[in-house]
Amino acid sequence: MQDETLLDILKKRGVSRRAFLKFCAAATSLMALPPTMASAVAEALAKAKRPSVIWLSFQECTGCTESLTRSFSPTLESLIFDAISLDYHETLQAAAGTAAEAARETAMKENWGKYLLLVDGSVSTRGGGYYSTVAGKTNLETLKEAAAGAAAVVCIGTCSSFGGIPYAKPNPTGAVPVSDIVKDKPVIHVPGCPPIPAVITGVLVQYLTFGTIPDLDELGRPRSYYGDTIHDRCYRRPYYDQGKFAKSFDDEGARNGWCLFELGCKGPTTHNVCATTKWNQGTSFPIQSGHGCLGCSEPNFWDNGSFYQALSTPIDSVAAAAATAAVVGVAAGVGVGIANHHAKAKAKAEHETVTVNDLEK
Amino acid sequence: MTFMDLLLWARGPALVGAVAIFVFGMVLRLFEIYSLGRKPDLAPPRSGGPGSGWRTLWARSIPSKPFFKVSMLTYIAGYTFHLGFFVVLLLLAPHIMLIRSVTGLHWPNLPTPLIDLVAVITLLALIVTLVNRIMDPVKRFLSGVGDYVAWTVTFLPLLTGYMSYHHLLLDYTLMLAIHIMSVELLLIVFPFTKLTHMMSLFISRWFNGDWFARRGVAS
Amino acid sequence: MSGLDGIGVKVIDAGGDGSARAVLREIETLLTVLVEKGEEGSIDLSSLPLTPEAYDLLEETLGEGEVTAEVSSLGVTRVHETGIPGVWWVTHYNEDDDVMAEFIEVTHCPEILLTPEDDVKDGLEALRARLFEENMNKSSVE
Repeated sequence: MQDETLLDILKKRGVSRRAFLKFCAAATSLMALPPTMASAVAEALAKAKRPSVIWLSFQECTGCTESLTRSFSPTLESLIFDAISLDYHETLQAAAGTAAEAARETAMKENWGKYLLLVDGSVSTRGGGYYSTVAGKTNLETLKEAAAGAAAVVCIGTCSSFGGIPYAKPNPTGAVPVSDIVKDKPVIHVPGCPPIPAVITGVLVQYLTFGTIPDLDELGRPRSYYGDTIHDRCYRRPYYDQGKFAKSFDDEGARNGWCLFELGCKGPTTHNVCATTKWNQGTSFPIQSGHGCLGCSEPNFWDNGSFYQALSTPIDSVAAAAATAAVVGVAAGVGVGIANHHAKAKAKAEHETVTVNDLEK
Repeated sequence: MTFMDLLLWARGPALVGAVAIFVFGMVLRLFEIYSLGRKPDLAPPRSGGPGSGWRTLWARSIPSKPFFKVSMLTYIAGYTFHLGFFVVLLLLAPHIMLIRSVTGLHWPNLPTPLIDLVAVITLLALIVTLVNRIMDPVKRFLSGVGDYVAWTVTFLPLLTGYMSYHHLLLDYTLMLAIHIMSVELLLIVFPFTKLTHMMSLFISRWFNGDWFARRGVAS
Repeated sequence: MSGLDGIGVKVIDAGGDGSARAVLREIETLLTVLVEKGEEGSIDLSSLPLTPEAYDLLEETLGEGEVTAEVSSLGVTRVHETGIPGVWWVTHYNEDDDVMAEFIEVTHCPEILLTPEDDVKDGLEALRARLFEENMNKSSVE
């Protein structure tokens, strides 16, 4: 089973070569590769082995798994998931209890050093991590154990990538992102709350196709998906350039679909592909639906100021500080003024009139 | 520390600190200057009423022909960058948002491409003034460190703003943070350099006009 | 009954043509390459932020050509040659009729229409098998 190539698996499912070609064209588009790469993708996929995948869920809301599974158009993504061997996923697997844990251990042992580890959710570290446990083991322990034998770790969602909601102030569980724990393996971040399903599958397909880690940005996100900001590719960008802004959620500007910058849109500082790939099979994305971007694929998005405050405005109260400073300034000014007057008066008092007689001495 | 952390710092504590220093410094400087006072003028005024001071405000703002001929470049480049600076500062939508969130005051904005053009012209005018300052022997002789500091802190906000809008060189988040911090630098050094002229200029001009009128040369 | 009509949403043209003009220029470049060097090229439309207006402009400018084809495999793939010979519009749908991927292909014939080499071989074998079976049936009747 492990030696089967992807093409063998697809053939068994009655997928013709034309269908395979179509699959490769869609996969190329999914990976945001130039379309000329389709034949290279086809060649690589025909030879690709079926990798073992272990998916661990820690402090998370299962939204990432929902994003992936609810989006299934019954062709492309399901084919990809048929192509991988998902050996452990608490929510999706049939096995439960000890059988589930046994499945994970078997998969790890059989594919030691080769399996792909997918993680959603952040890891609790306070007091040794007892805030989140599965089968009596802390997430911290499980992660360390599973990461040791992984070829690479893919962090699905903002929680595992950057800490996300559990990491938000005051962070009661001492949550940390996976990259704080796993230091010696390649870690790919696929942030988003949740991430776009096509981006999750795109990263998996790339690994499946070329066995390589995509080019990552300084925050560990694949550049092909997180290279541009939402603002860069937003269809409302012309309105920003023209200086046409919605001032409230129900004014004329909002109805006209003008730029949401003034309503706190975080598009300019958020790197993701929502504006082009969109959600629900390309139906829409938040800005298209009339709400500004929350910046969910960026670190600490929960603590980065109000969702409804424009990016160019101050976070703290400037007016109060300015008023205090003015009062202090007046006080200091009066002080300096008095000192100057004294100096002047003193100079005047010490001034000795010089007469011609004095000079003649 | 991520770029976003830096941006949050720039928008938060750094901005509060910079504005506080700016307000404190300006109030202090103005008090310092005007509390010195003048000796009372005991002579009866020769001509003019209170109007002369106000007229001088305008008269001095319009270059006189002989002066304009001699230092045309100084006038044109100077006026261009001053006007450009205020257009960019006061009429770009995100800037108006900032002013609105602090003071509650707001007004219509100009289209961004127009602001963009004005920013480029302003930057060029500033470069012209710097080159002129260095090339001209008299200006070079008169210039001290403070003049170059004032030029730099004026130039940086425009340059970084332009670069962040066009996503040049650095990531937008980082560039925006740098832009905001460059403005904070401007605010901090403002009261302690010749930039204070923004506040003292028109008061001095009014005073001169009024004084001259008392001496019989009303404008 | 959807209540959406009750919401006062207006769609107003943002001005400009989105990326349509850029895409048309790219098609021109690819077509030049095809004419001069014989190299094929394609543009992935699904990765571009095209507005409905940009789509319309693209369709309008390219026009309709002589060939329309439909491939049924993993859902439907609709292929048509545009009014500019050598420029093909290829849309891959999945089994739910959602667009999976969409390309402008600048080529003499899109690859998806060509019969794959291995399939031709399989076809030959299948035909021979059918003829053999028929012969057997005939001989058994006689």
